[in-house]
Parts: sequence; structure tokens; C-alpha cells
Amino acid sequence: MITKNRFFNRELSWIEFNARVLSEAKKTYIPLLERLRFLTIVTTNFDEFFMVRVAELKRQSQTNPSWKDLSGLTPKQQLDKISGRVHEIINDQYECLNSVIIPQLAKEGISYVNSSAYTPDQLHYLSTLFQQEIFPLLTPLRVDSSTEFPHITNLRLHAAFLLKPLIEDSLLPEQFKHKKDEDPVAVVQLPSSIPRIVWLPSEGDKKRFALLDDIVTLFGTRLFPGYSVEESFLFKVTRDAAFAVDEERDIDFIQAMEEVLAKRLSSFPVRMICTTSSPRIQKFISDQLALTAQDVYEVKGIIDLATLADLISVEGFSQLKFPPWKHFQNAVLHKDANYWDVLKQRDILLTVPYESFESVIDFVTRASEDPSVLAIKMTLYRTSGNSPIINSLEKAARNGKQVTVFVELKARFDEKQNISWASQLEQAGAIVVYGIANLKVHAKMLLIVRKEYDGIRRYVHLSTGNYNDKTARLYSDFSLFSSSEELGNDATQFFNMISGYSSVQTMKVLSMAPINLKSQLLFMIDREIQNSSKETPGLIMAKMNSLADKDIIEALYKASNAHVHILLNIRGICLIVPGIKGQSENISVVSIVDRYLEHARVFYFQNNGEEELYLGSADWMPRNLEKRVELMFPIIQEDIFKTLKETMLVYFSDNTNSYYLQSNGSWIQRKQEDQEEKLRAQEFLYNQFHHNYEAQIKELPKEFIVRRTEPK
Amino acid sequence: MTSLEAVIEIGSTGIRLLIGEITEKREWTVIDHSELPIALGWDVFTTGLVSRESLLQCLKILNRFKEQIQCWSLPKDQITVIATSALREAANRDTVLDRILVKTGFRVKVIDGIEESRLMYLGVVQALQDEFPKLKKNDSVIIEVGGGSTEIMLLQRGKMAAVHSLRLGTVIIEQQIKSMMGSQKEAHRFLVEYIKNAGGIMNTELKLDEIDVFIAIGSEVRLAAQQIGKRIYSHCCSITTESFINFTDELQEYSVEECAERFKIPYSDAKTLAIGLLAYKLFIQLTKAKTILVPDTTIREGVLVSKFSSPSAEIHDEFTSQIIASAYNLGKKYHFDEAHAEFVRKTALKLYTTMKGELGLDDSAGMLLEVASILHDVGMYIRGSDHHLHSQYIISHSDIFGINKENMTIVSNVARYHRGKGPQQGASDFYALPRLDRMAVLKLTAILRVADALDRGHSQRIQSFDTEFKGDTLVLKLHGVQDTILEKIAMKEKADLFESIFGYKVILV
Repeated sequence: MITKNRFFNRELSWIEFNARVLSEAKKTYIPLLERLRFLTIVTTNFDEFFMVRVAELKRQSQTNPSWKDLSGLTPKQQLDKISGRVHEIINDQYECLNSVIIPQLAKEGISYVNSSAYTPDQLHYLSTLFQQEIFPLLTPLRVDSSTEFPHITNLRLHAAFLLKPLIEDSLLPEQFKHKKDEDPVAVVQLPSSIPRIVWLPSEGDKKRFALLDDIVTLFGTRLFPGYSVEESFLFKVTRDAAFAVDEERDIDFIQAMEEVLAKRLSSFPVRMICTTSSPRIQKFISDQLALTAQDVYEVKGIIDLATLADLISVEGFSQLKFPPWKHFQNAVLHKDANYWDVLKQRDILLTVPYESFESVIDFVTRASEDPSVLAIKMTLYRTSGNSPIINSLEKAARNGKQVTVFVELKARFDEKQNISWASQLEQAGAIVVYGIANLKVHAKMLLIVRKEYDGIRRYVHLSTGNYNDKTARLYSDFSLFSSSEELGNDATQFFNMISGYSSVQTMKVLSMAPINLKSQLLFMIDREIQNSSKETPGLIMAKMNSLADKDIIEALYKASNAHVHILLNIRGICLIVPGIKGQSENISVVSIVDRYLEHARVFYFQNNGEEELYLGSADWMPRNLEKRVELMFPIIQEDIFKTLKETMLVYFSDNTNSYYLQSNGSWIQRKQEDQEEKLRAQEFLYNQFHHNYEAQIKELPKEFIVRRTEPK
Repeated sequence: MTSLEAVIEIGSTGIRLLIGEITEKREWTVIDHSELPIALGWDVFTTGLVSRESLLQCLKILNRFKEQIQCWSLPKDQITVIATSALREAANRDTVLDRILVKTGFRVKVIDGIEESRLMYLGVVQALQDEFPKLKKNDSVIIEVGGGSTEIMLLQRGKMAAVHSLRLGTVIIEQQIKSMMGSQKEAHRFLVEYIKNAGGIMNTELKLDEIDVFIAIGSEVRLAAQQIGKRIYSHCCSITTESFINFTDELQEYSVEECAERFKIPYSDAKTLAIGLLAYKLFIQLTKAKTILVPDTTIREGVLVSKFSSPSAEIHDEFTSQIIASAYNLGKKYHFDEAHAEFVRKTALKLYTTMKGELGLDDSAGMLLEVASILHDVGMYIRGSDHHLHSQYIISHSDIFGINKENMTIVSNVARYHRGKGPQQGASDFYALPRLDRMAVLKLTAILRVADALDRGHSQRIQSFDTEFKGDTLVLKLHGVQDTILEKIAMKEKADLFESIFGYKVILV
């Protein structure tokens, strides 16, 4: 990785993250199906990467070929390096799949049967299946160089066949003859309505499966009566999805967004992943799609691992999966608790997925039913389709409460889903705000306004993760429930700003991008520099997904030179170059990759003993700090502060799933040293919550929770 | 149980909303506020009219605010919508107000400059609570440079010496410069001259160079306070004059874009920032103040305070005494007979209190009567004969702190009829008033005439008197005088209105 010693390249740094995901798949002590899951994640990650980042670079290389990134690379140079490294990783991935995972799965009782190994019974079964269920769904298209090449849908698996007429060409009537001396090629899109994994009738507890693509390839001849299939080929094309919505259109924004979705189907191809079975078809198709050798990724064996999810969720085989981890009920916000009374006393920290996201859903549900609640306001960025939160909000709106939701239509790949539930909410009477022109709203906040006997009180929930009950089972995030007046005031201001009620206002405790979040961070880094000396070094600890902002990195270098110790916990992209003398010798960067996706953003500043700790929605990337609406909020309450600080330190003690960034750009996994006890951060945290939970249910109830209406 | 009040202000550069929560103890906190820019001032100060675009924008903003207010489930009667100079001066103001009413349901109250001062003062007193006593020891000025007007209150040892509403506003200046194709330099010169002249006039009321407390309100100076000020109370900052001047001078070099970017403010606010601060700077240089006090309050807080009546009896009394002080200062300006004025004021007030049950007027009427009593002879400055006409003219063309235009018309009419016959047919100044105001004029005039008659010789011979109702007669028992012939003659002449309005004969014994 070329660095010029100050910055790594963003794309290459991201690719190394995916390489770390792949290394998890190689760990022999991880259960087999989970290793397969890591392999499929590598593929879906690459799909998104090519659709967005590589597409963008390709466009850059056309429109602005001399532009250079922070590490000094032109688009062309970056594309070359990306292709080289991704080819290596994919080869590595398939090596792992073909020589380890598939053979071992077979040993454990899940066997992949390829088309050359079907038994007569299996052949009979599959033939009937093909004839009755698959064949009617297939639409083969004949292509040759004289006709327009058919549209190849993004990310869908296609089969291609090289055909040969059974009757000699010369014997055909004139109008059926081929125009040139080439054999025709036909392309078939594999139907998405049929599962790709086809379970074969099995004996005993052994499971065998065939793949839809094998079946189509095998019986493909039936699609072309009068022709023989000479060669067959499977491929998947990734297309550009990086284009933006026309931001000038605000009133008919939904329509503009729908047009984008339509456009995404037909944008330019970025890469092709394919089998090695037919170099002739491969050349023909890549020529038609204007893809170069660099853009073609040949794989041996099962193509497109992204669609193997069914295999991982196969019933039984629990020995091949991670032991289930529960999502514990928060000790305070349990189902018998009166959330309002609890939160009047103190703030509550929720740590998902160790703790259950139910508390958040419950919070919204209770608010929607509570007669004292006047209004609910909420940002919804990447919310799951039939989310219980949406249902509660709809109910609240029907109950006459003012419900304002902020729907971010620019959350990539989710637009389609968002548009439908947004209109559902609107019909219920909720106020739906469809984003701010030119800015994505990435902040995660919920505000509940309640009229209580002693006046108005506001309850706030601020999170580092999205309001998505599905991802809250997989992404590790922190969130804070509070009824603090200052937070309530700022939350009101925040929603005023993003709902079009008010121009920019100053807030007391919240920092907001793109207004003052970055300057606040730079201020705190600088303050750390001022307070630091060789004898009493400052300390900054920060946990985030990605670090890519030039100004922040430069400030951190300056801090390192001022003896500030900087511990960074960065899961993905990291442009900072650690460990360079006179630049960054006091900076160390760790990345944790494990069964939960590390997603929280936590920032700690020692501040000469007056420690400060913040949670937030923003990574330290230019896009987050300058092109998105993000929030950062301080943790004031002592016990929560302590918990979060300790949790930060746990990550830096991990010796099983942590990778340390080297000054040459490589990542080295930290190993247990002699006599060092094993510490796996996620497991440690899980056990902690487990322990607390057990202790709590053993505890006898000391307090009667009386169910009654309160005297007026 | 607390209650909520919302105040919306339609100003020259923006529409702003404030929602306050008021406790039973009449303490309040702001729980929600917002603002959106609109170029009403730009329209009105250039073309005299609110443009169609601005009207539509105005309706859009008001409807958004309406939605915002719904979040707090506020009933309609707890929402006050006011408009200041831009709408006040708009030639099409009636149609604009009508559109607003039809399209948003908001009934907008257009307030005049002096009313603006009154509201401002209420807000300032609230914010300065701890600092306020110091005002009594020093001379001070409260100033707000707005988009369309500048409100100034001069206080001599805490007492209102004068109040002015100057037609000097940031939007107006910016407009004038633009229309004259002028530069920053010319703007500077224009401002310097204007403020010098204004300062010259004010100097006759209060020596400006002896003022050491400078209280500034307004968005520009609040922004300066955020940048370079120090918070001294929860609702008040202070800035040293020196750093304020440096900050202002530095800012004159910035382009509008730089201001917007640097302070993260809307472009419309950035446009008037430099000129606004310059105006404050020129005003402060007329005084000897070393620091500037910048309370967080705005006119909206003032409305809030006035909405739930006086937040405390103390502030209310303080406020009334400021009005009286302001009236006396106007009197002094025209060399009035202070002893006579004081006698008539006290006497009238006593009669007013006696008659209170019969009057059917609201509480503020007593204060109007006091002001009219103080100023009824102020027209003598011009000429003795017909001085009641001159009094009316002077009063109706002067500013008195805390009394809005409608009430000033009442006061000037009362002064007009303190002498001579009552309103005759064709008295347009009188008959143009709404019926209730006409009744107020007549009742207050009736009392004033009786009070005036008791000091016919301007010698304050009567030390005190008692009142007693006997059937259809009001008996005034005078103390300290033997010979009351003069007063009796005067009473014959002047009690006519009293008798015809209240039905009581006035007898002196």
C-alpha cells in the first residue's frame, strides 16, 4: 500500500478490512457454518464496494484522470491496485471454500453434489423439477455481435450457452442461416423466485444439495431445440450504483428517487464475476459489456457466495454454528418498569446486541399509547421494512399525537423499502420529512414530549446505531435514554432545524455536523495537545468505523508529537499511518472483527483529568463531518461514563479478534502472549451481561410494583 | 400545573417563534424556539409593499410554525402573533394581515415602535434581574437596532428620561446604500451623520457622555456576545467596549459570504451583520460605557412577560413609574408647570380611585389619566390661548415610553378637551376613535377637568380633600383653604362634563 507515509489510500484500506473478514473464515476454531458466513460476507461486501466505490473511481478516471487522493494515487493507479488485491483475496476466498469449507461440510453431513455426480434418482428428481418449476420461468435470449446485447441485471446470476445447430448450416433455408461464421450465444437470467439451494431427497441425517445454476446448465439444452449446447458459463455483473438523486428537486423528491431506482437497473457495468468453464463465452460477454481483463474475476466452483445464505440457516447442525447468544433485557428498563419514572431519576445506557433492542421498541410503543404524550419525533435511517417501530408510530399518529419522522431516502440500497412505509405513515397523519437537500441525515435521535402534572418533560433517546430491530441483533451499538432538560432542549432544536421549522441555531450540549461537530473535535484534540507533556501525556481514545478526515488525522499527528497517547479502535477504513517516528509513534490502531459488527462511535478525551466522553453517529470521515447531519453527545452520568470507559479499554486488551495496523498498511492479528489469558472482547462483554442478568433474576424482588392508576 | 404560551414575531428579516412554559409562580423558561428568514424589510423599505413572493413565504413559514406549535398542544388563545416595523410600514398591510388570517388562522397584532420599547423593557428587566438595581445608580441606555427601526430608551438613574423610535434599521440602511450604488464607506458616513444628529437631539434629554451602562439587544449584538462576550448571568452576557469595537472593525472587512460561513448564520442575517454592529459601535462611542450588557431577551420574551400580565408586582410598579417618568421628561422639555402638573395628577388619581366602580374602564386607564394630567398644559409652551390644541398636537407627535399609538391618541384627546367645550360635531380626531376609546376619552376628561379646577390658580392652595357621595352629588371637602371662590367658579365652568357623564353634581365645601 503506497502511503507517502502520511495517508493510506481509502479504497485499499477498505479492502484490507474485507481481508480481515476473510481471515475470520480461516480460523479453525470457529464453527464451520459461521466460517461460511464470513465467506459470504466477503462477497456481499465486495458487491457493494464495486457498485459504489469502484464505479465512482471509474467515472473519475474518465472525467478527471489526473485527480489524486490523499495518498497520491490517480484513479487509474487506484483501479490497478484494487484489481490486483481483490483478485488475490478472491482467490484466497475460493481456496478456503473449495479446499476447506466444502470438504469439511461434507464430512459433517452437508454435501454439495455437482452436476457430474448426480445419481440416477437425483437426476430424475431434478429433471422433473426443472421441467415443472424452473423451465417456465426461464427466458433465453439469443445474442450475436450484430444484435444489441440484452440487459444484464445488476447482481443477478446469469447462465450463458454457446450453441451449435444440430442441422448443418448449409442445409438450412436462407433466412435461418447464420450471418457470420460464429456460433450463437444465448443468455438466461436465473429466476430469483426459486431458492438457489435445492435440497436433494436424502437418506438418514445427511443432507445433500444441488445448485439451481448447475441444474439450469445441465438441462439447458432443453431451452434450445434444434441446437446442441457446446459450452456453458455462469456469470454475475456488478453495475454502478453511485449516482445521486437530482438534489434540486425537493417537492417531487420521491419521484426522483424512484427514477434513480429504475436507473440503477441500467447503469454501466463495473465488473464481472464468472466461472472458468468457457473462455470463448467469457471473452464474448466481457467484450459486449466493455469490461477489461482487470474487471473480470474468474472463480472455480460455486459462483456468487452471496446467495448461499439458505445454507447457513439450515435447520439443525447446531455444532456448526456459534452457540446462541441471548439479547438480555436491560436491568432497569424491564417490562414492569415505569420508563417515565425511571428516566426522571437517571439516564440509562443500552448496549445492543448484548442487551435487547426491545427496550427501544417498548419505549416508542408505550409513548404511542400513553395519553400524556403529546409528540414523538424520530429519525429513521435504514429502518427495517415491517419494523415494530413504524407500527407504533402509525398507531401514535392515529391516536392524535404529533408524530414527525425523518426518513432518509438517500440511505443507499434501502430506498425502495423506505418509500413504501413512509407513505403508510403519512396516511396515518404523521408528518414525514424526506431529508434535507444535499445532506444525508445520519443522526439517530428519538424525542418524546410528555405533559406531566408538573409541566412539560422531554425524553430523549440518542444512539450510535440505527433504529432497526434486525441490525440491532448484529451490530454492536450504544444508546442513551435521558430526560435531561438540556438534552431535551437541544433535541427540540435539532428537530426544528431538520424539519424546516428553523434556520441553524446553536445547541448547548449536542454537537452537530455539518455545523460544529468537526470544529468541536479539533478543539478537543487541540486542548489535549495543550495539556500534554512528556511527563504527563494526554490521552485520546476513539472507537469508530472509519477514520479518513485529513484535518482530524493531521491534528492527531500533531497530538502524537505532543506526547498525547492515542488509542484508536477502527473497524474499517483507516487512513492514518501509525508508528512513524516524528509523526505518529504514539498512535496505535486496532480493528476488532468478530461475530457482531462493531458499529459504535465512542470518543474519550483525558482533558487534564477533567475527563470527557462522547457518543455519536459520525465517523471521522469528510462525508460524515461535512456532508451529513450527525450528532455527538456527551456522557455526563458517572456510572455510564465509567462503564463506557472500561468497555473501551476491554477492546484494547482483546487478544483473539484484534488486528493491529502497521506502518506499512498491513494488519497483524494480535496473539495471546505467553501466560496471557485469552481475552475475546465480545465474549467478555457477553459474559458480563450474562452474569449481571443471572444475578439480577436471582435477586428477590425487594420492591412491590403495584399496578394501579395513580391518584389525580 | 404549568401553562404554555407561544409568541410569533413577524420581523423585518425573519419570522421567529418562542414557546415558554410558565409555572404557577409565574416563572418561565423557554422550551422551544425557532426562526426562518424572510425579506419583508427588504420589500417594504424599498417598494413600500410586501411582495407576493414574501407574502407566500410568510404564509408558508407561519403554517410551519403552526405545525410546530401543535407538538405542544397549545390552544389558540395561548398563541400571540405580533408584527413589527416592516409590516407596520407596508402600504398593503391590511390585505397581508387578511391573507394571513384566512390562510393560517393567526390574527396578527401590529405593534408600534413605542409598544416595542415597552415589550423590550419588560424582557430586559427580566434578564437583568440581578444587575437591574445598578441601573438606579447610573445613567443608562437600552438600545435595539432592528431591521426597520431603532428603539432607544434613555434612563436617568433608573428613571425613563426619554424614549425614541428612530427610522434607522439595518435593512433600511443596506437598501439606501444599494439604491445609491454606494459603498461600505458611504454607509459608514451616512450612519455616522445620522447617529450624530440623533445623539444631538437626545443629548438635550440626557447627557449621553455621562451614560455608563450600555444595554444592547438585537440579533447582531447577541452574535457578537456569543463570539467575544462573557456570560455573567444565565440570561445576560457582557462584552468590553474595546473588544466590541475591535470585533466590529474587523468584521467590516468581511464579505457577506465570509460572515455566513464563519458564524454559520443564514445569508440574510449575514447581510446586515456588519452594518448592524457598526450602528451599535457608533452609539456606544457617544457614551462613556466601558462594557456592553447583552441580555438574551428579545421582544418575544417581552410579549411573553406581558402576556401573563406582570411577572411580579415589583416589575409592574417599576414599569408604571417609568411611564410617569417619561411623561415628566416630556413635560420638562416644554417647560411645563411641574407643581401644577403634579397637583393635578395626584388629584385626578384620587378622583379616579373614588370613581373606579363607576368607570367601567380597564386598569391601564388610570395610567393614561396620570399622563394626560401631567401633560395637559404642555401646549402653553407654544402659546397660552388655545393651549389645549397645542397640547394635543405636542402629545400626539411625541413618544412616551410604554404608551402605544392608540393610547397616545386617547391621552392627546383628553388633554385637548381639558379646556373649552367638549367634542363638537366634525371633531375628526375624536370621532375617528373607536367607540370604547371615545368613552374612555370622555370619562378621563371629565375627571381631569374637575382636578384641574381644583388648582385654578396654579398655586396648589388645597392641601388635601375628602370625597363623599350624597345621592346624586359628589361632595369634595377641601382642607387648608378658607376661600374657595376661585375653585367654585372654575368648577362651574369645568364640571359640566362630569355631571353629564356620571350624573353627579360636584359640590365643594
